[in-house]
Amino acid sequence: MIEMFKEWYDAKHEYAKEWKEKTGGKVMGYFCTYVPEEILLAADVLPVRILGSHEPQDVTEPHIFGMFCPFCRDCLAQGLKGRYDYLDGLMIAQSCLHIRQAYTSWEMHIPVPFSYYLPMPNKVQSPRAVPYLKGELERFKKAVEDWTEKEITDEDLDRGIEMMNKNRRLMREAYELRKEADPPMTGLEAMYMAVSSQTIEKNDHSDILEETIKELQGRKLERSTGQRLMILGSENDDTKFVDMVEGCGSTIVADDHCTGSRYFWNDVQPNGDRLLAIAERYVQRPPCPSKDWEVRTRIPHILNIAKDWNVSGAILLQQKFCDPHELDIPSIKKTLESNGIQTLFLELDVTVAVGQFKTRVEAFLEMLEGEDLF
Amino acid sequence: MATTDSEYWRWKEYNWKDPEMDWNDAEFITAGVDVGSVSSQAVIILDGKLYAYSNMRTGSSSPDSAKNAMNWALEDTGLEIEKIQYVVGTGYGRVNVPFADRAITEIACHGRGANYMYGPSVRTVLDMGGQDCKAIRTDERGKVTAFLMNDKCAAGTGRGMEVFADLLGIHIEKVGEESFKVEKEPPPVSSTCVVFAKSEATGLLREGWPKNKVLAAYCSAMAHRVVTLLERLGVEKEFAITGGIAKNIGVVKRIEKELGITALDVKLDTQIAGALGGALFAKALWEKQQKAG
Repeated sequence: MIEMFKEWYDAKHEYAKEWKEKTGGKVMGYFCTYVPEEILLAADVLPVRILGSHEPQDVTEPHIFGMFCPFCRDCLAQGLKGRYDYLDGLMIAQSCLHIRQAYTSWEMHIPVPFSYYLPMPNKVQSPRAVPYLKGELERFKKAVEDWTEKEITDEDLDRGIEMMNKNRRLMREAYELRKEADPPMTGLEAMYMAVSSQTIEKNDHSDILEETIKELQGRKLERSTGQRLMILGSENDDTKFVDMVEGCGSTIVADDHCTGSRYFWNDVQPNGDRLLAIAERYVQRPPCPSKDWEVRTRIPHILNIAKDWNVSGAILLQQKFCDPHELDIPSIKKTLESNGIQTLFLELDVTVAVGQFKTRVEAFLEMLEGEDLF
Repeated sequence: MATTDSEYWRWKEYNWKDPEMDWNDAEFITAGVDVGSVSSQAVIILDGKLYAYSNMRTGSSSPDSAKNAMNWALEDTGLEIEKIQYVVGTGYGRVNVPFADRAITEIACHGRGANYMYGPSVRTVLDMGGQDCKAIRTDERGKVTAFLMNDKCAAGTGRGMEVFADLLGIHIEKVGEESFKVEKEPPPVSSTCVVFAKSEATGLLREGWPKNKVLAAYCSAMAHRVVTLLERLGVEKEFAITGGIAKNIGVVKRIEKELGITALDVKLDTQIAGALGGALFAKALWEKQQKAG
């Protein structure tokens, strides 16, 4: 069952096109995981996160600055190359400048019938963030209703919330298994699992996920676990990189990425006022660093993950030029190292410099193991 | 392998053995082979003591470079490769050393090698290699405790210096000395890319700058670049430099000046640090393997 996630990761466009054909429904491409998918699911719209393809490209130069992060350029390139030509809608929830540029450029150059900019508050720590977002969600719900020409009822919202919450619960259950001394899945498998959950219809994904969790009970991998590592930082769906790291004699057992645990860490807590409950969930989720101020809540959160999953080292990954993440690196490094967790900092580009990275990763593992050489 | 007048970049390739030592008396014979991006070395140690080595240019094939370096180190010793109990491969070509028992990164090997060459008081090692440089912190055994490696550019590296030796027509082994023959230290050239630095230098020559002044500007750019790497890591004394650039006083003195710390001096060839570290790891690994039965 677990192989299904890789298939979905590789064939996300084919999946979305088939879904559309089968259901006659609309597909919404979204940037950034602050987009409240509950409302889209309530309207029977399929939310599909826009991701890059990790290939060198030359189509975004006229549209996006060279010193904007490789991820936002890679995303825009997918649009310009027509790989998301099946989208009926496009949206973003306000997040960092770079990904907003990808969104606005896409909207300008690749016409879609519906597009929406959701002003997700950046200062999530403000007491006004939840009421503000609730108001914005009301406007967004109305816009979706006008677009789909169908009312979204409370029952629809409950369905959307439950689809999201169920998938989140299952993802957390799967991640729990990685706490075992010899985790029953690799970090690569976990990445396929988490990233595919952002592009595949939630019920489909949850069905396979439920089966997978059963299979994982008592599954033994034919490889030694080696050093237990955590990865954290900017958007990261780079399976080649993860595969290389695990090939050097380690297992990635945890993460703090928007393509990983941040996506499903907390649920919507139903409280009667559905939009308020959704607003609370997005305001209170483990934050993206662009929203984590003035108190840096990410740092203790990351340390807790590192401890709970018992890692010996953490790889701090940053998309090149990703300022919000770079700003956090010194404090994350300091906090982890003062708690006995060694760190390795690496900068991601569209393609990974495997040779250079491999030397660093191997040297890092030698540093963690070490004693056998003396 | 004679130097011709037009090959200013060509540094001396050679082999060496300790005439006082005899491998027949040794209990442990181990070796390290460092196949770097520019140069390759093979080092053979007897019971943990340096016995023989070679230092030569890396060719287009890593396995051939490893074999050539090893054969040259073995030359005139009477020792055969089969008698070497354990070989560690290191450097860029570490996984392509056909006769290696294990591959270990050049970062770990330089830390260990510097510990042997400079003594256990070394805490910070700067390895200035052919196409990258690494700042390494070590403990009293030469075990790496932290490291940083430069990214995406060869401006602070040996190959960059070779390009400059060629451009200016000054032999690579004289570059350091020559760079001090200036009235006043010029501002550094741009330090992010060898090709850009070279274009800038061409412009300066055209403006009438003497060669030595251009060289001084390049040495200082290179020093500045590695000092920023060192400062990111944090420098703790004692401080040592390994790799080919450690032989270039034009760069070394400028690094020392900028850091305010003097680098340790050594009689051994700084280019063999990686292979030497590999040979020392090979001994530890062989002994463990023997004990484990």
